[in-house]
Amino acid sequence: LPRPYRLWLHSRPVHPGARSPFDRELKRKQKNWAARQPEPERCEYLREEVGGRIADRVFDITRTFPLALDIGCGRGYIAQHLTKETIEKLFQTDIAENALRNTMETEIPTVSIVADEEFLPFKENTFDLVVSSLSLHWVNDLPRAFSEIHQVLKPDGVFIGAMFGGDTLYELRCSLQLAELEREGGFSPHISPFTAVSDLGHLLRRAGFNTLTVDTDEIQVRYPGMFEVMEDLQGMGESNCSWNRKPMLHRETMLAAAAVYKEMYGNNDGTVPATFQIFYMIGWKFHESQARPDQRGSATVSFGDLAKINPLVSETKK
Amino acid sequence: MSSQGVWVRARERLRRFPELLAGCGEQAAAYGKCVAAMTAGHTELKKEACAAEFEALRDCFRLAAKKNLK
Repeated sequence: LPRPYRLWLHSRPVHPGARSPFDRELKRKQKNWAARQPEPERCEYLREEVGGRIADRVFDITRTFPLALDIGCGRGYIAQHLTKETIEKLFQTDIAENALRNTMETEIPTVSIVADEEFLPFKENTFDLVVSSLSLHWVNDLPRAFSEIHQVLKPDGVFIGAMFGGDTLYELRCSLQLAELEREGGFSPHISPFTAVSDLGHLLRRAGFNTLTVDTDEIQVRYPGMFEVMEDLQGMGESNCSWNRKPMLHRETMLAAAAVYKEMYGNNDGTVPATFQIFYMIGWKFHESQARPDQRGSATVSFGDLAKINPLVSETKK
Repeated sequence: MSSQGVWVRARERLRRFPELLAGCGEQAAAYGKCVAAMTAGHTELKKEACAAEFEALRDCFRLAAKKNLK
């Protein structure tokens, strides 16, 4: 009989109503371990990419933010892309102190604070900008985390975040599922269902955010095989930390899953893809100056007039 | 036997998986195809539905592991 190997897999079952699915202390250990690896840059490509895309969205809002906060910053993947004209002072927080000890260079003056995303140690109405990249998916109470973010924002402040979407790692999820079914007769979830786009919008609105934008992007990374995918996930600090995670993955099941992964999803050149779906969200904290929908019945033109728009425009030009 | 030693050895054995698997591409593909075929249509994937293919894969893998140990 094969000896089972203890493996931390990237997976987090989240059931509606579950109070604390994740072991935050374990997550901290995993992230600290990842940050302590001899070459942390090796597994940071995903965070770098997404950090850059969040920075783009910050730049798009042509404002200077006197005070900003990066939640779950890791080694600080967003700040390195931004200038001190965009952000004058930045607070970076993460639960893993090792990551904060080794942050990337940025021209922005920063303050690093070890803090849990679920319990932000800041007063209401403090920050002009809050950013968060690929860390909120491990939070136990997401509605509460969004509420806290909304609270620490100043009126007319903005939150720009990125989270993993439902298609993330579907290849790994399916391969493990099928292998476990065939080898063991049943399976436990190893990959989280993730928050759906519609739920995300709903949660942000409930937390008080206005003028929401949520858009999705897909990043596909090529790996030699399934084991390399899992190795890199571990190196990213993305291993499973759910309380009810399956502690062992049988070696035979892993072998079976690797074979299924290659057969079902493999590329022609022998590599396998792993998909990361990213949801980018932007939400604003209300301020009087923000545009509001007009009162019902205040319209001066009707949609029926759309057909006449060309003559209307040329008339006003005269 | 220190517990740390066990995990170090386990991790090392795990690291060799990809190279050992590389030598069993044919068997892996056969197993993978069998599983994939079961998921098409209304057939249910039952336990050990592809047992024969998996045995072949496992045997190849074990052989590769023995050879590799030198």
